[in-house]
Amino acid sequence: MRRQIGRAGWGWTGFSAVVSFIYFFPVLWIVLTAFKAHTDALAIPPKWIFTPTLENFVSVFARAYIKGQTAVDTNFDVYFFNSIFIAGSSVLIALIIGTLAAYGFSRYPLKGNNTYLFIILTTRMLPPIVVIIPIFLMFRVSGLSGTYLGVILLYTAFNLPFTIWMMKSFFDELSPEVEDAARLDGSNGYRVFFRVCMPQVKAGLAATAVFGLILTWNEFLFALLLTGVETRTVPVAMAQTIGGDIGVRWGLLAAIETLFLIPVVVVVYVLQNHLLRGVTFGTIRR
Amino acid sequence: MSTIRLRKVTKRFGSLVAVNRADLDVEAGEVLCLLGPSGCGKTTTLRMIAGLEDATEGDILIAEQRVNHLRPSQRDIAMVFQFYALYPVLTVAENLAYPLHYERLAKEEIAKRVKRVAALLELESVLERTPGQLAEGEKQRAAVGRAIIRDPNCFLFDEPLSRLDIEQRQVMRGQIKELLSGLSKATVIVTHDQLEALTMADRIAVMRDGNIEQVASPHRIFTEPTNLFVAGFIGTPRMNLVEAALTETGEGHCRFELGGQRVRLPITRPGLSAGSRITFGVRPRACEFTSEPGDDTISGTVDLVEPMGAETLVHLLHGEQDLRVVVDRTIRLAVGEQAHLRFEPESVHLFDESGRRVEAAA
Amino acid sequence: MATQAQAAAPGGLKQHFSNWRLALVIAIVAIPGSVFLFPLETAFWVSFGAVILVTATVVTRAWGRRPGPLLVAPALATLLVMNIFPLLWSLGLSFFHFRANRLSPPRFAGLNYFEKVISDPNVWDRLQTTAIVVVLTVGIQLIVGFLLALMFEREFPGRRILLMLVLTPMMLSFVAVGAFFRYYYEPTFGLLSQAVRLVTGEPYILLASPEGAIAGIVFADAWMWSPFVMLLVLAGLVSVPKYLYEAAEIDRASWWRRFRTITLPYIRGLLLLALLFRTIEAFKLFDVVFLITEGGPGTSTETIAVYLYRVSFQYFKTAESSALAYILIFIVIVLTNLYLYFVQQREKEEEAPA
Repeated sequence: MRRQIGRAGWGWTGFSAVVSFIYFFPVLWIVLTAFKAHTDALAIPPKWIFTPTLENFVSVFARAYIKGQTAVDTNFDVYFFNSIFIAGSSVLIALIIGTLAAYGFSRYPLKGNNTYLFIILTTRMLPPIVVIIPIFLMFRVSGLSGTYLGVILLYTAFNLPFTIWMMKSFFDELSPEVEDAARLDGSNGYRVFFRVCMPQVKAGLAATAVFGLILTWNEFLFALLLTGVETRTVPVAMAQTIGGDIGVRWGLLAAIETLFLIPVVVVVYVLQNHLLRGVTFGTIRR
Repeated sequence: MSTIRLRKVTKRFGSLVAVNRADLDVEAGEVLCLLGPSGCGKTTTLRMIAGLEDATEGDILIAEQRVNHLRPSQRDIAMVFQFYALYPVLTVAENLAYPLHYERLAKEEIAKRVKRVAALLELESVLERTPGQLAEGEKQRAAVGRAIIRDPNCFLFDEPLSRLDIEQRQVMRGQIKELLSGLSKATVIVTHDQLEALTMADRIAVMRDGNIEQVASPHRIFTEPTNLFVAGFIGTPRMNLVEAALTETGEGHCRFELGGQRVRLPITRPGLSAGSRITFGVRPRACEFTSEPGDDTISGTVDLVEPMGAETLVHLLHGEQDLRVVVDRTIRLAVGEQAHLRFEPESVHLFDESGRRVEAAA
Repeated sequence: MATQAQAAAPGGLKQHFSNWRLALVIAIVAIPGSVFLFPLETAFWVSFGAVILVTATVVTRAWGRRPGPLLVAPALATLLVMNIFPLLWSLGLSFFHFRANRLSPPRFAGLNYFEKVISDPNVWDRLQTTAIVVVLTVGIQLIVGFLLALMFEREFPGRRILLMLVLTPMMLSFVAVGAFFRYYYEPTFGLLSQAVRLVTGEPYILLASPEGAIAGIVFADAWMWSPFVMLLVLAGLVSVPKYLYEAAEIDRASWWRRFRTITLPYIRGLLLLALLFRTIEAFKLFDVVFLITEGGPGTSTETIAVYLYRVSFQYFKTAESSALAYILIFIVIVLTNLYLYFVQQREKEEEAPA
């Protein structure tokens, strides 16, 4: 049967599957490594078939592994908690004030609305290293450095531009007629916002939250310079594991990344339609 | 010879039957209109002829060759799309020249042909513009121009006039008809507008739910609709279709009972016997009001009067039925008035219980 | 809303607290003044206080008025305190002799550090490295992303699942990508070295040569971000009306002509956006370099962001780094402006009837 324009059959699926799996291979190998014992991870030649072990996953959470005669505390349970706590709180705060602001920018444009939005986006586009220099000084002087409060505040500011642009793009898509109708029916501003607008952008809100969580979770430089021993996040701890003088525990790193891979893959699958908007900070919708 | 033939062509999308065993013949130089309500399968039929959809079953023949297995580009056809499908970044001249590139013609030859078509369709002044800068009518002419610039096996038009305003439609209807009459190609035009079909077509194929209900000349489609659907679909205002009973068949006449009233008409229907349930059809322009009731009239109350300019549309309430009658604007009737209606006997259509037309002669 | 505004109008106290112009004047006087008069810590707190004052008056002013300013006030206040103020502070610092790890008070330096940075061959060298990396990685991303998009343009069974596989790298953390490419590039047991050894019999140390190190970084970054370009191109391909392809098929256009006259015009705009966005992002390239090569061998892969990190946090040349940072800020602002200009351009085109 002839091929229809824009449609392809199983043959194309086969071809695409091969390409996709080659592309995905580095991730796949990480996952395999996560299930390898330390000696298997360093094997020459690389082992395709091995006895899977959960040892690496255990050492992520069991706090310790044995190195020679001494138990070394991985502390990764603390870092996981930190990452989740910091990302969660800052995304939540950013979501609340960012959504309000996005609604304001979308429905009640200020004088110079676009200039505000441009400046807001620019703070997000700047290289983190540029932004961090003064913040580092500010935190040192104010004593916020290394505290949860400081880090959460910082990540709130980090998430805000993204949240505002994302949510504004969702609000811009709503038909204003529905809100006008609600106003004519006697709803006040709060009712219009909470009862009419918010239910329509629920999916957008969820997408924004999830992207914010991933971006915050992945962030490295701010965390490297501004978290202390107590507030260290997973990426920093991973980087330090690599830099350590003891042999790098590749299996452990792989296990950590594999643990985080699952939510990422689920998100990519579920939010496929919002992905473009997410990775362009809400500047491109379609 | 430029012909199109469909032989028992069926198209299924999953469990949905879009086109059901369609048979169709379009001869060289003939214009056939596929007419029907939206979703009847007329566009799918056209797209199967073009090769943009595969037929699930049956054969499609273009120029007497079976083309089911051929790609659209191999079928040597020209098509005008509903949304014109002009290439947005190319100028009108480049759009017109687009189908010629395949033939590897010399530049001068292409320019000559573009010039000729542009002159034919009055596009000379906009040749250097892109489609975005054109008025709706110019886009439409450019799309037609791109189709006729080649010498294809046949022409296909998908709702060619649907995006034009009423005035432009009238002009383009004439223009397209004139163009096509000089080309002696088989042409299929899809439309949902019966006026378009009646004016442009040599023959009309009326479709419903994937089935071709009737294929005939515009005149016959109008005067001898083959079933209730065609009768109701063709003609504005709609034909009056009234459930009735045939009470008596006599020599040269029949008696009917319509909504509790009896009427005697000088017609014969050998195919029907007394006592059968029928549907009685008469067009709004095929009846007239009389001052006195008679045995060939029925009575009703004037329910609504709609002036339409030269004529007036009167709604007559007859029992439960609403009968539409078009009368000259000089005839004045007031709402609530009693009126008596006489039917032109030769324009009465009778349909049996299955909805098929009953002919006057056996 | 109206009643609140009326209530606020006669209250003199409220009027006073919302006088943001006065607060701004105070801030403008207080900040440079305190920098000259007091030690740095005190000056910082005075300046911070002044910024809080300005923020507070702006928020107070927004309160009880039209909903627009009120809604955006909390967000703007946060950004003002956490982003704008620090940036202005560092702009100020770039005019002073100042090192964050010394206690000596800042001395005015004028444009000294800007001159120094601009005339510094190291900076130009790092900018050159950055340019090479940006051109290579963005170029590869555009090509690979484009090809992937052509593959995923069609509908086929299992498309969504395979798309998920290809899109995943983009959402991984830089640290994870950096860490694992380091693992793959490892001289003894790394996959790359072992693959090469199958052919040459020798272990292969990619990161030993400057070219190899740059290739390693570019490969990791391009692998991670090609899906981004693919997403944009895919969005462009999907927006092409199907009937244009049908018309081209009936007009017997060749593949190349069809691509040139139909496909390309629809994705050109998005390709440009992808190019700009990826350029801005690649310009910031830090994490991957930091984790894979740490700038080495020598300084051959030290991008401008890594260099800036070293200047500010290893050598603690705070003033110099601030001056350099402002040059980068300028570049990014220009690129971002350009990017948003084309975004708006595209939105206008989309809104215009076809």
